[in-house]
Amino acid sequence: MTGAVIEGPPDPDEAQRAIEYCYAQDWSDGLPLVPASKPLVDRFLATVRRDPDEIIGSLEQVGRDCTVYLAAVNAAMAGCKPEYFPVVLAAFEALMRERAARGGGFQSTSGPAPLIVVNGPVRHELGFNTAGGAFGPGFRPNMTIPRAIGLMVRNAFGVREHVFGQATQGVPGRWSICIAENEEESPWEPFAVDGGQPGGVSAVSATLTRTCEFIDNRATPVAEEVLRDFADTIGRLGPQIFPQTPVALVLCPEHAQQFAGAGYSKADVQNWLIEHSGRTAGELRRAGKGGALRLGASAAAEPVSDEYFHRVLTQPRQIPVIVAGAKNAGISMVVRIFGEWSGTAVPVGEKP
Amino acid sequence: MPNAILDPTGTATAAAKPAAARAPRRASLRGARVGLLINTKQNAAPFLHEVGRLLVEEYGAGSVTARTKLNFAVPESEEVIKEMAAQADVIVTGVGDCGSCSAAAAADGVVFEAAGLPAAVIVTDSFRTTTEAMAQLRGAPGFPYATTAHPVAVLDEDQVKERAAGVLGDVVALLTDPSAPGA
Repeated sequence: MTGAVIEGPPDPDEAQRAIEYCYAQDWSDGLPLVPASKPLVDRFLATVRRDPDEIIGSLEQVGRDCTVYLAAVNAAMAGCKPEYFPVVLAAFEALMRERAARGGGFQSTSGPAPLIVVNGPVRHELGFNTAGGAFGPGFRPNMTIPRAIGLMVRNAFGVREHVFGQATQGVPGRWSICIAENEEESPWEPFAVDGGQPGGVSAVSATLTRTCEFIDNRATPVAEEVLRDFADTIGRLGPQIFPQTPVALVLCPEHAQQFAGAGYSKADVQNWLIEHSGRTAGELRRAGKGGALRLGASAAAEPVSDEYFHRVLTQPRQIPVIVAGAKNAGISMVVRIFGEWSGTAVPVGEKP
Repeated sequence: MPNAILDPTGTATAAAKPAAARAPRRASLRGARVGLLINTKQNAAPFLHEVGRLLVEEYGAGSVTARTKLNFAVPESEEVIKEMAAQADVIVTGVGDCGSCSAAAAADGVVFEAAGLPAAVIVTDSFRTTTEAMAQLRGAPGFPYATTAHPVAVLDEDQVKERAAGVLGDVVALLTDPSAPGA
């Protein structure tokens, strides 16, 4: 009853008919879907001890739920292998723990994309890419797991573009960002440890992001000069709409090791960047963004002078640090968080 | 017999929602208590307050109370709806000018109507589709609402007032029925 038995070469004409059938039902994100059958979905469900009818996420405002069963159908259609399914469930759980995702994130004009981070032995067991090309493509689990999340939002929650999905432009690579941390070349603890899990545990963390911006800095031996380059991008005006502008850092191993070699812990990196990332009130006002100084709870209480340096971050938890990619250049990403990220890691294969 | 291709939406088995009730209309707004539900988006507060002021000045509404949504992205809680229903006779809500808040404004409007309060939902014209989809989802296909041109957030004080005046006739038409008893 397990494995699909292929007797002789498959029939491409039948496969094409099945793919077109899925398009005709409006189930697809635009790319071909794997038509899901009961035997295939049963193999997904067999990887977890969960009731197929269990609700694993609700979007209250549209009155729709996602069940374990619907997650399995969508994961199968996304091209996941059955053994990926526990990671799909952990990723969805991690994402749906975030207020920004449960609120209006999937409907937002900002069109944010899930950023999924995988830690632990499951990275190698399932063949995740943990090295170069961290943002994809080329690796089945990294590409199909975030696609599964996208299909769950589309099909189970019913959020489709131009109807409940109102992205003005959206994020390049939406529904395709799944990073397996390069723990082997990171000088620090795995990201899931920051998220509350013991080291060596397979776990998934997730948030919504508005985009990634690269920092290319590979010519200076001075860690603080590299950090200043990060601070410039973190503090830039474009993303500022509230007093706080959380980011995640996806550091390449070269930058991470350079910082660690200069004696910086993750917390030291975070604190340095909190201190130095921002713009002056004058710069904000001249760009029509003076409102970012006063909106929200952490805003400046008093009117401030144009020289006042407005820091866009105040807490280390607003700058989660992940290490990913190849150790072959000093190229890292600043990832813009949509709303806030709790950073909580969800263990793979355990009922939350 | 080949295997069926499975449906990933889960909607094939979902029960159809009963049609949402619509509040009885007043013949006019004379003496009516107007409740404003402000969604926190930029310029929503001055826009709705100006609508409220004009309803009193030009249509004889009795009073205006205002409340601010806790989270613009999601429909308001049942408690808030009940509290507002106790304090007001008609509701004006908006201004929906984003993906989630326009849909949430429509959802709030449907709930107010079911609670017996005529509701005027105001969104910008960029968000018609999502507003109508949410109303349909909540059992109120064809739910009437008012629009103003997008964008609203960039308008200055005088422009906001002009816009509020511009939508006033539609708001009154949404909240009243001249043929209702008591005309």
